Amino acid sequence: MVNLTVNGKLVQADEGEMLLSVIRRLKIDIPSTCHHDAVEPYGACRLCTVEITKTEWNGWKNYVTACLYPAEEGLIISTHAPEVIELRKTLLDLYLARSPGAALIREMAAEYGITATSFQKVPDGDNCILCALCTRVCDAMGFHAISSVNRGHGKEIAPPLKEPPPDCVGCLSCAQVCPTDFIQYKDKGKTRTIWGKKFKLLTCKDTGRPTITVEFAEHLSRQRNIPADYFEHDHESHRRQLALTLGKLAEWDRKE
Amino acid sequence: MDKRFVVTPNLCTGCRTCELACAFSHSVNGKPGLSRIYPLSAGTDEAWVPVVCLQCENAACVKACLVDAIARNPETGALELDYDRCVRCMACVAACPFGCSLPDDQHSLVVKCDLCGGEPVCAMFCPTKALAHQEICSSDRKSA
Amino acid sequence: MCIRTVQQLNKRKTQLLAGEKKFPRKVIVCCGPGCLACGAQKIADGLRESLKKKKIKGFTVETVRETGCHGLCEKGPLVVVEPDGLFYTKVKPKDIDEIVSKTLARNEIIDRLLFTEPATGKTKKKYSSINFYRHQNRVALRNLGHIRPDSLDDYIAGGGYQGLARALLKMSPDQVIETVSKSGLRGRGGGGFPAGRKWRTCANVESDTRYVLCNGDEGDPGAFMDRAIMEGDPHSVLEGMLIAAYAVGSTEGYIYVREEYPLAVERLYEAIRQLEEEGLLGDNILGTDFSFRISIARGAGAFVCGESSALMKSVAGEVGEPRAKYVRSVIKGLWDKPSVLNNVESYANVPVIIMKGAGWFKKIGTDGSSGTKAFSLVGKVRNTGLIEVPMGITLREIIYDIGDGIIDDRPFKAIQTGGPSGGCLPESKLDLPVDFDTLTKAGSMMGSGGMIVMDDKTCMVDVAKYFLEFLVKESCGKCVPCREGLYQLHALAVKISDGKAVEADLDRMEQLSDVIIRGSLCGLGKSGPNPFLSTIRYFRDEYLAHIRDKRCPAGVCKNLITYEINDKCTGCLACIPACAYEAITGKKDEIHILDQKKCTQCGACYAVCRFDAIDVT
Ligand SMILES: Cc1cc2nc3c(=O)[nH]c(=O)nc-3n(C[C@H](O)[C@H](O)[C@H](O)COP(=O)(O)O)c2cc1C
Ligand code: FES
Repeated sequence: MVNLTVNGKLVQADEGEMLLSVIRRLKIDIPSTCHHDAVEPYGACRLCTVEITKTEWNGWKNYVTACLYPAEEGLIISTHAPEVIELRKTLLDLYLARSPGAALIREMAAEYGITATSFQKVPDGDNCILCALCTRVCDAMGFHAISSVNRGHGKEIAPPLKEPPPDCVGCLSCAQVCPTDFIQYKDKGKTRTIWGKKFKLLTCKDTGRPTITVEFAEHLSRQRNIPADYFEHDHESHRRQLALTLGKLAEWDRKE
Repeated sequence: MDKRFVVTPNLCTGCRTCELACAFSHSVNGKPGLSRIYPLSAGTDEAWVPVVCLQCENAACVKACLVDAIARNPETGALELDYDRCVRCMACVAACPFGCSLPDDQHSLVVKCDLCGGEPVCAMFCPTKALAHQEICSSDRKSA
Repeated sequence: MCIRTVQQLNKRKTQLLAGEKKFPRKVIVCCGPGCLACGAQKIADGLRESLKKKKIKGFTVETVRETGCHGLCEKGPLVVVEPDGLFYTKVKPKDIDEIVSKTLARNEIIDRLLFTEPATGKTKKKYSSINFYRHQNRVALRNLGHIRPDSLDDYIAGGGYQGLARALLKMSPDQVIETVSKSGLRGRGGGGFPAGRKWRTCANVESDTRYVLCNGDEGDPGAFMDRAIMEGDPHSVLEGMLIAAYAVGSTEGYIYVREEYPLAVERLYEAIRQLEEEGLLGDNILGTDFSFRISIARGAGAFVCGESSALMKSVAGEVGEPRAKYVRSVIKGLWDKPSVLNNVESYANVPVIIMKGAGWFKKIGTDGSSGTKAFSLVGKVRNTGLIEVPMGITLREIIYDIGDGIIDDRPFKAIQTGGPSGGCLPESKLDLPVDFDTLTKAGSMMGSGGMIVMDDKTCMVDVAKYFLEFLVKESCGKCVPCREGLYQLHALAVKISDGKAVEADLDRMEQLSDVIIRGSLCGLGKSGPNPFLSTIRYFRDEYLAHIRDKRCPAGVCKNLITYEINDKCTGCLACIPACAYEAITGKKDEIHILDQKKCTQCGACYAVCRFDAIDVT
């Protein structure tokens, strides 16, 4: 355990715990777009930047991203120092120039008093804020189906060669974690389309309702030893089965 | 100690108090959330049984989760889903052979029973004691 | 043959030197990248062919030697006769027979091939008397232009691997680190971090594995020092790495070379193969229990991959994006193991430091920055090329002594140092000593050693725009301040150069720069606003001219200049077809007319006019 000060309040944290987690535990609201607990901290959005100092630093201050800076003994953290606010404002202003349509960005910017960008609109801007949560989650799931391509201002997220990604199983995690709902997919009847690739959805033998894709189920059976017949029914059908089984058990009990 | 849900289907009247209790104790933004428990027909019109996660030993949901978002709470024995980790791929929903990981489409979440931190509210409110959460001996067949 | 002991190494050296004595004179053909591009290989082959036919006393085909870059690439192909030091430039295949029959056979000098000092017009016979070389001091580039890059024997004959031998047999790892620390060697890759301190930290980390990495990414456009070393003297880099590995206790090393340097890759592979064959790489080197292996990792040629954390990710086979590090890579680097990363030139210095001692090295250069530094001197100076100078030399000496002044005697305006994220220094800073701290304090930096000299026809807004554009493209695109911030900074620079900016835009740019510096994840972003900050610091008036007067004083920014035909026009018709926009009309021998409405300020007419008849205002 180490002792630190957050906005004047003394708190304790595990050594090595990232500052963002400490700050969030204190219910202090600082923005971030690229953080997700399922993946390693990334430090791309820089919105969670905080000011840190220590008594022995003699007034010297540093600005670090809370998601990546481990708690240290004696750290004095200011989550809303004027410099930090100025930084966040400019970042959100920059974000707005690129992704004015992204609800998340608009909300965050509004909280910092910005409603429109003061910079030049990025001509080919879109709602992708390049947080790379999609690619990182895809990697964490073990699929590596999509990645970032190009660098610099022309960076984007895409499957290899911009063709339907061979390694994608259609689990939708990328779309689910996308903070700006930029990643589009379509479920229609028994088919799912994402990244230009079509998938067949499994359907419940009883209810006929679609569940997950054939590829995803096969992956889970193969890699995680989940019996294939578990995937033959949807959750409601499974529940009903369980109810009947429990009923039968009770029946026997009574007879005994 | 090792506490489990004990279900006595003969006592269940299908009153759905458990469902209400669960929904209220798992509220999202101040509104009732999706209940993790509700009674289902146990075969006949009169027979009901509350269905809830069994917190399996070698759970399919845990195996299916590729980002390790489901882990057992050593204190309560509950398999808890870490919402900050979950990427909503629905693998656990599809894999649970008892249908006890549930998609909450309204809040785009996956939910499952977390034993309310050790004292499940559903059992507390069950008027007929068809559902109880108590210490059991391992030979008890009704337990699961 | 194997070199398993120091005795064997020394014996080999003695034998080689004895062999060399039989034919003391050599014809050296520079086969560095510049000279090769001008056909140097043909010259070397032709000389051999000619020597095969004609028997000349003292010369055989063996005495014709291809070496790495001599530095004066612009004057290539270069031919040097050693040990006399006779220096021929711009040698053509048709000169070969004359060189053989006159110079080699009869010691006659061919005047037309001699180097002419551009400023004075005087010809110089000897290498050492040429201004370009006279002011240099070659340590890292010591072998360049003297040895055959693919010959381990040449390297050994010149004292190669003696530094390694001394380190392994006469010094403890600790003493090696101590020597490097005392020498004051600072990283030549840009940061200037003390190499000894880096090694010490790495050696002190508890770990079973440590890596020694060499940064041969050299992404700065126009810089070619590291390339010249890797291509021209690969063994000096390998020896440096071996010594570093011994010092920090590493058994595995990687050299990261950009894909665009195929010859460097080839030379390094060959050099590694030779060392493995001789036993100088592998297990129990020189009979000690020190073992080391080196592999080559090829980079995809992104500027940002030269950044240490991006480089390590790239070596490990991941996307070359920098990673935020509050844990330094000497402690947790490649595959999370302690790793020492140094630049090519840094390593090339190490063997000499071990051989000649820390004190010798420390005496060169300044207190804070010892030793020498290689630069690629380009731009509007008369002599351009690869140079190595002692630290502390002034910019003026580099430009006017080595570079021989500005082309056409135009006024000097600025010198850009430190690569894309470096800065521009004006006339008033020309007497500053070149060292890490002084350059940084003046708002520029040492960087990896690019130096671009600019004259009065260069617009500083345009320069800032150019470098910002490079950085916008080369940013890895991961973090927002760097990706979006530099983009907007560039957009504002364009606005100024288009004459559409207001003064408040300058404040906006300064504020944005501050955020980019404070907010960016890696060194690229943290130094990204430098092209703007250093130009606004020294050339604010020029910015204001663009903004207030809508005028580009240097006559560069297209939107702010007009081309006009003056009465010097002879009516030669040359500019009429040159203008792709058909803006110029006129008859032979009559002054031509330029239609401002059609003119796009492309400058094509200006370029073709031989009578100074086009005014740019
Ligand atoms: C954007 C960026 C690009 C860099 N490119 C290079 C490079 O091309 N070559 C190099 O040696 N160092 C480069 N560096 C510096 C390296 O990060 C690192 O400091 C250096 O390789 C360490 O070696 P040294 O201490 O011997 O200089 C770069 C740094 C940054 C931030
Ligand atoms: S290549 Fe010959 S002097 Fe540089």
